[in-house]
Amino acid sequence: MTAVPVLVTGLAVRSGTFAPVTRFDVSNRQAVVAATQPGDPDLAGQLAEVLTEVGVQGSPVLLALHGDERARPITAGLAARFGVDPRVYTGACVAASTAVADAAALIAAGRAERLVVAAGYLVEPDTFAVFDAGRALSRSGVLRPFSRGRDGLLLGDAVVALALEAGPAAGRSALARITGWGRAGDGYHVCRPDPSGAGLARAIRAALDRAGVGAAQVGWLNANGTGSPIGDAAEAAALALAFGEQLAELPVSSTKSLHGHALEASALLELAVTIDVLAEGKVPVNAGWLGPDEQCRLNVVVDAPRTLAAPHLLTVNSAFGGANTALLVGAP
Amino acid sequence: MVELARAAWPEPGDTELPRLAGFTVSSFNPLVAETADRCLTRWHGAAPLGAVGRTALVLVSSSGDVGTARAIAGAVADGRRVPPLLFFQSNPNAVLGHLAARWLLTGPVLALGSGGEPVGLAEAELLLSGGEADLVLLVAAEQATADGESDHATAVLLAPAH
Repeated sequence: MTAVPVLVTGLAVRSGTFAPVTRFDVSNRQAVVAATQPGDPDLAGQLAEVLTEVGVQGSPVLLALHGDERARPITAGLAARFGVDPRVYTGACVAASTAVADAAALIAAGRAERLVVAAGYLVEPDTFAVFDAGRALSRSGVLRPFSRGRDGLLLGDAVVALALEAGPAAGRSALARITGWGRAGDGYHVCRPDPSGAGLARAIRAALDRAGVGAAQVGWLNANGTGSPIGDAAEAAALALAFGEQLAELPVSSTKSLHGHALEASALLELAVTIDVLAEGKVPVNAGWLGPDEQCRLNVVVDAPRTLAAPHLLTVNSAFGGANTALLVGAP
Repeated sequence: MVELARAAWPEPGDTELPRLAGFTVSSFNPLVAETADRCLTRWHGAAPLGAVGRTALVLVSSSGDVGTARAIAGAVADGRRVPPLLFFQSNPNAVLGHLAARWLLTGPVLALGSGGEPVGLAEAELLLSGGEADLVLLVAAEQATADGESDHATAVLLAPAH
């Protein structure tokens, strides 16, 4: 059976900009910077806003959130307001991309006509504190993916909703098409990535194979690139496995360097940015660059935006537990 | 789908969850690990296995890891030092990483926060029918959140029907 095309037909985004944290007290923390929106926004309220913008319209909602006791009143409130009980994804930094992969799989198999994927994370004191205690946050206050001197991630706000519908695109208003998806586990460690990158490479190959797209047809890769010393090196190894000699030609940026790491919502924000890049035809820079690192031999976009030279864009994410995802985006 | 093996916590004779090295404070991760280990052992025998194809891990929990979340929130509220170990277990993927490494499982790793075993079964069916996994280990776990409740979990190993 031929798979049904999966179209992105609506998108709504809230995200932040890097600044010293004022939303809560960070005087006892080693790190002090995050990408936040002004003031103290409300997660439930912003999720309702972005869901309203894309229109739920009775469609099933797949929602990526941090899975703690604060999530339950949020999901209950959204269920009451929109009349749809969300399916909740809590799998850390691949929660939202897992939801997108599920939505795409359901549509491609002809099991759903329209689905809404949403995700939200707003920088808050508990996660900031435990990431600071775990030495995961950049103490220099700059997120430098794949760069010499990188010293960790910076958290960021993101609240995003995206509508996915069954194609074809003819006569429809669509922003992009999800042409491939892949997910695979490292089978390696509780939280450290497999330094060989084998799991992420398998996720990438699965996404490309599903779409029938060759490595040379990928015009840009929005990397996971958290700025973690070991995480970025493992990702570079994965890209070498997945792309081989073609890797030298592949422009790579991690847009976390521009909007921070929004944890459960990060993959949906990065997919939204990737869809924007497709529309604009310009590949964004990987900010925070100090110089190349021998462990990350990539064609990193560092000085200025580049013109998109091939029609498919790939966005990848990795998480604790060795979870990896890859989403391939093309024109509708 | 066909069910290859099933396990639960508690089962008759169970009293106290075994400790899980590397995890602290909360019973959530020992609960998931013990139930999953029982299920995998009933089908495969003792770990480690070597390559067994792509087994996906799907964890469904509405409660999530209440113990770890409350420990972090309590330390922050009281201005106490947050134990660094809590960073590593601050999301449900961590215990799945433990299981994947112990059993050499390389399929997709998913954590869901609603719907219990029925939603997990639907997810498993989607992964198997779409060719994304050869087997799925589904764990549905709920941690006690109030007096009078008790931790409980089920684990089921699933394969395609054909």
